[in-house]
Amino acid sequence: MKLATVTIDGITTEAEDRTPLLQVAQRVGVTIPTLCHYPLIEPYGVCRICTVEVHMRGRVRMVTACNYPVTDGIQVFTQTDRVRRTRKLILEWMLARCGHVKVLNDLAAEYGIDEPRFGRGDDTCILCGLCVRVCSDVVGANVLGFFNRGTTRYVGTAYDEPSDTCIACGACAYVCPTGCITIDHEAEQIRGELPLGPLTPIYIPTMQAVPHQPVIDADSCIHFKTDGCRVCASVCETKAIDHGQQDRHEEIQVGSIIVATGFQPVDAKKVPQYGYGLYPNVFTAMQVEHMVNASGPNNGQVLLKDGRVPESVGIIHCVGSRDKNTHEYCSRVCCMYSLKLAHLVHERSHAKVYNFYIDMRSPGKGYEEFYNRLLAEGVEFIRGRVAEVSDWAITPMEQGKLVIRAEDTLAGLVRRIPVDMVILSTGLEAREDAAEVRRLFNVSCSSDGWFLERHPKLAPVSTFTDGVFIAGCAQGPKDIPDTVAQAGAAAAEAMALIDKGEVELEAYTAWIDQELCSGCQVCVPLCPFSAIEFNKEKKVSQLNEALCKGCGTCVAACPSHAAQQHHFTDAQIMAEIEGVLVS
Amino acid sequence: MAHRSHVLVCAGTGCVSCGSFQLGMALEREIQKHRLDAEVQVVRTGCQGFCAEGPVLIVQPDEVFYCGLKEKDVPLLVQEHLLKGRPVSKLMYMPPAAAAPVPTLSRIPFFAKQKLVVLRNRGLIDPERIEDYIARDGYSALARALTEMTADQIIQEIKLSGLRGRGGGGFPAGIKWATCRQAALHRSVEPILVCNADEGDPGAFMDRSIIESDPHAVIEGMIIGARAIGASQGFVYIRHEYPIARERLGKALVQARECGLLGQDILGTNFSFDIEIVQGAGAFVCGESTALMASLEGRVGEPRAKYIHTVEYGYKNQPTNLNNVETWANVPLIINRGAEWFASMGTGEVAENPWNGSSGTKVFSLVGKVNNTGLIEVPMGMSLREIIFDIGGGIPHGRRFKAVQTGGPSGGCLPESLLDMPVDFDSLTAAGSMMGSGGMIVMDDHTCMVDVARYFIAFLTEESCGKCTPCREGLRCSLDVLQRICDGTGEDGDLDLLEEMGGVMQDACLCALGTSAPNPVLSTLRYFRGEYEAHIRERRCPGGVCQALIHYEIVAEACDGCHACVNVCATGAITGQVKYLHLLNQDLCIKCGACIEACKRDAILRV
Repeated sequence: MKLATVTIDGITTEAEDRTPLLQVAQRVGVTIPTLCHYPLIEPYGVCRICTVEVHMRGRVRMVTACNYPVTDGIQVFTQTDRVRRTRKLILEWMLARCGHVKVLNDLAAEYGIDEPRFGRGDDTCILCGLCVRVCSDVVGANVLGFFNRGTTRYVGTAYDEPSDTCIACGACAYVCPTGCITIDHEAEQIRGELPLGPLTPIYIPTMQAVPHQPVIDADSCIHFKTDGCRVCASVCETKAIDHGQQDRHEEIQVGSIIVATGFQPVDAKKVPQYGYGLYPNVFTAMQVEHMVNASGPNNGQVLLKDGRVPESVGIIHCVGSRDKNTHEYCSRVCCMYSLKLAHLVHERSHAKVYNFYIDMRSPGKGYEEFYNRLLAEGVEFIRGRVAEVSDWAITPMEQGKLVIRAEDTLAGLVRRIPVDMVILSTGLEAREDAAEVRRLFNVSCSSDGWFLERHPKLAPVSTFTDGVFIAGCAQGPKDIPDTVAQAGAAAAEAMALIDKGEVELEAYTAWIDQELCSGCQVCVPLCPFSAIEFNKEKKVSQLNEALCKGCGTCVAACPSHAAQQHHFTDAQIMAEIEGVLVS
Repeated sequence: MAHRSHVLVCAGTGCVSCGSFQLGMALEREIQKHRLDAEVQVVRTGCQGFCAEGPVLIVQPDEVFYCGLKEKDVPLLVQEHLLKGRPVSKLMYMPPAAAAPVPTLSRIPFFAKQKLVVLRNRGLIDPERIEDYIARDGYSALARALTEMTADQIIQEIKLSGLRGRGGGGFPAGIKWATCRQAALHRSVEPILVCNADEGDPGAFMDRSIIESDPHAVIEGMIIGARAIGASQGFVYIRHEYPIARERLGKALVQARECGLLGQDILGTNFSFDIEIVQGAGAFVCGESTALMASLEGRVGEPRAKYIHTVEYGYKNQPTNLNNVETWANVPLIINRGAEWFASMGTGEVAENPWNGSSGTKVFSLVGKVNNTGLIEVPMGMSLREIIFDIGGGIPHGRRFKAVQTGGPSGGCLPESLLDMPVDFDSLTAAGSMMGSGGMIVMDDHTCMVDVARYFIAFLTEESCGKCTPCREGLRCSLDVLQRICDGTGEDGDLDLLEEMGGVMQDACLCALGTSAPNPVLSTLRYFRGEYEAHIRERRCPGGVCQALIHYEIVAEACDGCHACVNVCATGAITGQVKYLHLLNQDLCIKCGACIEACKRDAILRV
């Protein structure tokens, strides 16, 4: 590495030969104004505001600091009269084009410009090209470009048409120094519901994630859309980022399995009378949960779709629960999370909050007290099933609002309550793919789709398949403390099995006589425990005694009497029958 | 078969547009009619230089120059001169205010004072025949360079000759070649050769004429350069507005390849080099080296900062040696006749250091208010007076010389007091102008210098790529100020403001287009400040050009009521009966000047 000695405003320093002068100046704390410069993008040198004076071997040159490569022995002056006069006139020229841009006016004040001599123009783009360059050089989307030349030069998209290659990454708006480029709020709404995924493509999945490392979301990462960007890789000092990683399927041999596949919230569209998907300000509880999160899309603020703060909010309980049309069961957690949301919404927006409930179910430690606290906070509770949510206003008060029509069973009348926002407390239901998972693990399930434990009291985390345990909402709706407790139990059971190191077999398993088996394979699909496999070489069925539970189905079905069961052979059964008949 | 006589018809763009192709065909028909086709040959040459008098032709070996010909003159010319051997004096060149026509080329002052080096073959060969070029010693320099000289010897020869780039900057070609060769060797990257034929200055046509009249000279120069630098690929970047030049160059490349002078294994020496023609789309800024290379690569023609030179990182980041058409055309002669011969022409002791002076000759396109407009080549160091008054024949219509603009739109305007200044790179720069590519626009006393500055700044505003702020916005703001001075609404501080803007643009613009853009304003302010002040303080345009500051008057004593002005006045501003004094209504007058042209009695005055 060749070193160059550089003097900037009297400060002498050493830098690698040909380093951009601006970098060296910033390192020694000399401020040089820039407009068209951004650290991640190649210097462009067009705004010329970073012009400085360089003395080299008796020659004086005016150069742009952002892209001027330093060489040994240069002396740089950043505040001479000539430099200041140049910057001042450049600013006046810029103001003649963009007279009302804050960053220019701030700089103008610094250079003593009261009223620019060429007037103030109304444009906001200074043609610094940052947007064009970030779009092509960093993002790789190549949506923006310069058009025309000279005074008619402008930044735009091809043929001035909305681009179909724009991925709405917002990088152009981010780097724009004048605020000329903004993201259209309405266009953002076109993207539909509030995003529930991570807010940035790189994130640490959960606070407790193990290993505690960030991951890249391939769906939202710019690199996987345009093959460009890689900004993360360029700033990562440890060079830990590898965009080439692929999903892998790994086969792992285990001694026992805990099925904790959880639940899915009921689709609020299944209850059409509440207007979800029809009215923009009808939200599900999960969306509001995301909204009130301080690191969420609204930074924790409760806002309507148009950005207003709601004045009144209705929370409808039991959406998709305790209802013959959807699920008859109680989802157990909705009452409590509704109370929590009522509390947070009231606290954040100071809105009037109405809860519409059938019964308030708050069993458990501290839950009833929380309910009482909300009553004291002034949250309204209306006991009764909501009939519908509509925007059909009858009175002027209801104009522009959502009207909740509900029966108030305590007051004995039907009420119409106008609100700005409706939150649907959707219930819990078994996952869509629960049936597939159940078949995979040979686990039974109830009519609602929840996985069935072997015994509700004696074996609450075991299943009928040995070594397979269940925990959490896959087994049925429950809150977090119950889930954690059950998970602990399942883990202990699984450990106990592994710890023993051996499995006790049933004494009365079936067996297949290979001499008699005709290879008809009747038994194979019949076995509920997948214990029978067909041996293609020998053309006979074979039984895995470790899996067999001795149910006898195969024995009864086998046409050639090859399948037999210990303690229940044909001869033994016939002898028993004979004995019964004799006596 | 040899012919006893050759008729060399100019087929440069100027003469072609005056009908020289038709003239040539008429000549051939007429010659055939008289059964002279075995004795007389018609040759179409490149530009012969005397564009003002086109179409022109020369009859050899008599060296008789005919000009301003029409098709109807052909029978007389053939019958009298070619058949009977009697030159036709009424078709010869008639100098202004002279009694008798000048019969031969060498006695016409326009030609007599010129020194043809680059244009050595102009008017003598058919540019579309490589045989003609070879017959005039063409490609002998290449043979010498390839067989007798090493690369270092060639570069040394060019260095010693003091040849400086003819594109405008005047950078010594030898130093550039050496740097490029060094950069290529140092990085083990193949260097690239480029010929800049993107001649965009208004009123300049040197490069076009060189290619049109002698394309092989450029090609030979490039091959020698390639040999010296070690390149195997070259480009000619030519603007698409030059169709004849492009076509002739294309044909010349094909011929050179067929003769084994271009392509693989040139002259059996194992050296290979080929040239490709690339068309520009006509942006003025693409004459700038970095913008040209961007355009060559297929990107938008915009310049970049030149803190890293193109001789190191140019076309596709390869070391790139860019020279102008005229520079390349000089190379074969330097190799053939030696550096000493070349350095003996021009100014300064260049053998020690090329920066000491300007050697060789320079081609200028002499245009504007001068009698003999056309293409000229003179030794460096000739004075402006000799060029304008001896070669150019002075100012027409007996008017006075006012200024000469050199170096294209970014050049400057020089006043009468500098007429004796020698024309070379450094003198012009010191006077606030520049050599540029060699445009020379002469202006008479009917020219307004403020308007001239405004015109050039408007041209540059139009042609600025708009990439950097000072050029884009500074030119626009300068134009606004100049416009208001021309409109008669200039203010007191305007001249200082123009000077301040000019100074900052020279300091802060990204490329040479921007840094030289204020030259027209600064040079006119330097030499013609009084004219600016007349516009601002007296609301008067001394040149009588700025419409807002002039008006027309009818001189009662002179007007004889002929009605000619009434007939041409488009707005009906002039009224009057025949044979009575006419009147001009100032409110209706749009100051088009048509009446002044129509009036035969000088009864209308521009005030």
